[in-house]
Amino acid sequence: MGARRPRAGFFKFTCCSGCGFELAYFQRCLEETLAAFDFAFFRLASSSGTPEGPFDLSLVEGAVTEPFQIIELKKIRQRSKVLYAIGSCAITGGIPAIKALAPEAQVEGAAYKERLYGLASTRPHVINDYVQVDGFIRGCPPGERDLFEALSSALMGKDPEFTEYSVCMECKMADNKCVLVEEGLPCMGPVTNAGCGALCPAHHRACYGCFGLMGQANIHALKGRFRELGHFSEEDIENRFFTLFGALGKTERK
Amino acid sequence: MTGVNASQRNYRVILPENALARWLEWLGGFYTLTGPVGGGVAARFTEISKFEQMDLDYQSTMLPPGKKYLFEPVEEVLSFDVSEGVFSSGPYPPGRKRALIGVHPCDVNAILYLDMVFLSGPYADPFYRARRENTFIIALNCKSVTGLCFCHLVGAGPYLKAVSGYDILLTEIGEEEGAERRGGKNRKFMVELVSEKARELCDVFPFSMGEQPEEKDFEKMSRMEAALLKSFRKNLDMEGVQSALLSRPDHHALKETADSRCLSCSNCVMVCPTCFCHDVMDKTDVSLSRSRRVRRWDACQDISFAQVHGGNFRAQRHARLRQFVYHKLDYEEQFGRKGTVGCGRCIRWCPTGIDLTEIARAMME
Amino acid sequence: MITRETAKKSLHVPVRAVIKGVKDEAPGVRTLLLEPVEGQFPRAGRVSRPGQFNMLGYPGVGEAPISYSMLPPGKTDAKAEELFGHTIRRAGRVTGYLEKFKEEDEIFFRGPFGRGWPVEEARGKHLLLITGGLGLAPLKPVIEMAPSLGLAGATLLHGARTAGDIIFKAELARWKTGGAVEIGLTVDNPPGNFFKKRQDRGLEGFEKAIGEIRTGLITELIRPLQIDPAKTVAFICGPEIMMRFASRDLMMKGMGGAGIYVSMERRMRCGTGHCGHCQIGPWFTCKDGPVFSCAQLRGLPDVII
Ligand SMILES: Cc1cc2nc3c(=O)[nH]c(=O)nc-3n(C[C@H](O)[C@H](O)[C@H](O)COP(=O)(O)OP(=O)(O)OC[C@H]3O[C@@H](n4cnc5c(N)ncnc54)[C@H](O)[C@@H]3O)c2cc1C
Ligand code: SF4
Ligand code: SF4
Ligand code: SF4
Ligand code: SF4
Ligand code: FES
Repeated sequence: MGARRPRAGFFKFTCCSGCGFELAYFQRCLEETLAAFDFAFFRLASSSGTPEGPFDLSLVEGAVTEPFQIIELKKIRQRSKVLYAIGSCAITGGIPAIKALAPEAQVEGAAYKERLYGLASTRPHVINDYVQVDGFIRGCPPGERDLFEALSSALMGKDPEFTEYSVCMECKMADNKCVLVEEGLPCMGPVTNAGCGALCPAHHRACYGCFGLMGQANIHALKGRFRELGHFSEEDIENRFFTLFGALGKTERK
Repeated sequence: MTGVNASQRNYRVILPENALARWLEWLGGFYTLTGPVGGGVAARFTEISKFEQMDLDYQSTMLPPGKKYLFEPVEEVLSFDVSEGVFSSGPYPPGRKRALIGVHPCDVNAILYLDMVFLSGPYADPFYRARRENTFIIALNCKSVTGLCFCHLVGAGPYLKAVSGYDILLTEIGEEEGAERRGGKNRKFMVELVSEKARELCDVFPFSMGEQPEEKDFEKMSRMEAALLKSFRKNLDMEGVQSALLSRPDHHALKETADSRCLSCSNCVMVCPTCFCHDVMDKTDVSLSRSRRVRRWDACQDISFAQVHGGNFRAQRHARLRQFVYHKLDYEEQFGRKGTVGCGRCIRWCPTGIDLTEIARAMME
Repeated sequence: MITRETAKKSLHVPVRAVIKGVKDEAPGVRTLLLEPVEGQFPRAGRVSRPGQFNMLGYPGVGEAPISYSMLPPGKTDAKAEELFGHTIRRAGRVTGYLEKFKEEDEIFFRGPFGRGWPVEEARGKHLLLITGGLGLAPLKPVIEMAPSLGLAGATLLHGARTAGDIIFKAELARWKTGGAVEIGLTVDNPPGNFFKKRQDRGLEGFEKAIGEIRTGLITELIRPLQIDPAKTVAFICGPEIMMRFASRDLMMKGMGGAGIYVSMERRMRCGTGHCGHCQIGPWFTCKDGPVFSCAQLRGLPDVII
């Protein structure tokens, strides 16, 4: 509708940059996307550009693990009309959150031979612990469906509608074999937010929950099911839920 | 039990399997043949080119054939060309003519239920209708019962009693003596031509290849059906269930099952042959040139299914589980029959094995 | 003329309408006057009934069920007289998007859907209308047709959060003067402060025209009512919790559930009885409702009526 292209920014905190790559290689419509938006700041696509606002749309990837990131994040929020968290690190803590499972000094000791006095690492946090987030583009890397919904909604000026149901729904709609019911694999699909199109089960693997838990996830019921399968130790089961993509969940639940 | 009258009998013939196979392959000239591939309780309705690909001994499938092919998981119902400002919906009929081969009685009844949902009300869905009219249904009476089947409790099986709404009914009634086929026996099927369409299609061929059934054949069918009816393991007082459920909406069996086992994963709904719920979403290209309205299977187990501005009418997990159980076993006023056809899929494919009949039984105690 | 055939085929295809007027009713609430310009809108008067709704929206954004607040007048072919109205509160994606629309913008709808208010049942009886907040909108067409319904009498009891949230102020004043409907108003928060701050908006004039605005819940207005249960029909529309208390108060006065009607709000995706979202027990709110008698609803799960 409007003639002006929306100004967009892509910001990175602690993560692998995979979400940025996902956007840069946005399979279905990279060209249209670049044409539709004025990417004023997107380090992966261009080294020029300024993080100064204002932005119509900001996408923020990565977990917050250092104090300066908090300040930066708050600035980004102030300069952005709409801010979406993109990817599991920003939304659930993702891989960087694994460090929450051990004391800070121990993590630093493992990562660096000498104690670095300039290092100011904090406990990992998801970005909506610090700023108001308008929506979550889940996944690791983020699912194309929700990314597409976020971008097209920003262009149209409407609120996006993200997926809010289980991976099992997508799995069933694809008529995949159920690896949990038929093969006894510890599939996280029943409690994991959809968006990936049931990628792992489609390839005969158990979902490991990379999109994060869906709302009202009944963790203890699925744990009970995994126990019944008989071939997993209590630690295996615990890890399934509370490492990789659920480390923050573990520490928060304590 | 089969209650044959003379005129119906004229449309019955006993065909050996190899003749049936030839006839079906001939039918493949007009229809996309679709049948159960892979046996047991997890067969899958798939497009086939050869009769041998099918396993007509299959017991059940994960996705029900009717729902999978008549009511597609994701379907575009409307498209809007933004610059021209023009809508289009369709085309109807979507896709090719399809023959569903070997549909069990429960699944035929489920299709009749979907007919009521999508065709009987004040508005008929054009996509469903076009597909339905383009689908040739060859039903197959069951010859074995799984431990989870309870069709007998709702009159949906194991032998099909419906007299319309499908085309052909097959019943395996024995083996042809002497004839060998693929190293196995050549089975014989009672073939009943139910619809006009079927009668026209089968006018000459394959009748010439079959035998006229005799009284003893019908007697045999009755005996087989009676034997099957004895092999069901599930039971529930279907008459008493309605008043029991409605008077105890907060029964602890519902709450406890929901809290301790239900994952709100919606597998039960996805595999249910009568679950018709769907969401409707609009999607627009990033170039803003075209918007599409798409419908997608949805489930009352999802947390946001009943979310509105003022709140969520089923915010609690047990309220959502209750909606499923009640919609299947109660709420007969809706379409004049129960929502379940007794196929047992929701139990089989629930990751934690939640069984609606067990919940209902506990609630009736 | 729509045949059955085309009506079926157009099930998914919306009708295009042009916004011919926009009126602010209260903060976040606007009335849009619409003129259908293209598509198979059932012509005026033939199908549209008070209490019915349209699925209103915009392609790419979605649709939301919105009740008629003004019916198409009917029995005329003149385009200009086919205007109908919807009063919309900003709630989420669709209604938020529609908030930006101005006069002459295009909007799309499908409908009308559902069963409306059973106005014929009120003939010869006293019609009691009880509304809360935006719930007045779906009953506005009933009030406007009240003089032609052959009623023994009509009473409107309306409650809003604050005086500023009262919609249809001009209409309320007009109905009051017209005399066909007795009107009682109440607000949850006292109007006093409000009027002091905003005298310049003419709200004081409104209070003059309408009489006293009481403070308290709508039930405060119901309790003193004298009702002849056999000769009264009640239509209630508002938040479900308000409809619960209002209907219970009426039952305490001796009315049966069959004579008390409520309009239910549920999530809706199709309007045609297919998507299943709007189910309440065995009913589809879109095609069996949205207006139900309390007798139909009471005792069903997930309903608090
Ligand atoms: C028969 C009927 C008649 C009606 N008449 C009118 C009328 O005349 N006027 C009027 O203004 N309204 C009316 N309504 C209400 C109106 O339909 C809703 O307010 C409207 O559907 C909201 O749509 P939306 O797309 O704007 O909001 P949505 O985006 O659908 O959101 C609605 C609300 O639900 C919440 N929500 C949505 N999805 C989720 C989710 N996944 N998780 C958590 N929360 C969620 C949102 O926060 C928001 O509060 C009527 C409703 C019915 C059923
Ligand atoms: S394979 Fe996993 S995701 Fe798929 S249905 Fe089974 S449990 Fe759900
Ligand atoms: S499949 Fe089982 S666990 Fe999942 S929602 Fe249904 S009843 Fe609950
Ligand atoms: S059980 Fe749930 S998903 Fe299935 S038809 Fe009923 S309401 Fe819809
Ligand atoms: S439920 Fe009945 S009809 Fe269906 S597969 Fe089992 S026995 Fe056959
Ligand atoms: S709104 Fe879809 S069934 Fe009622």
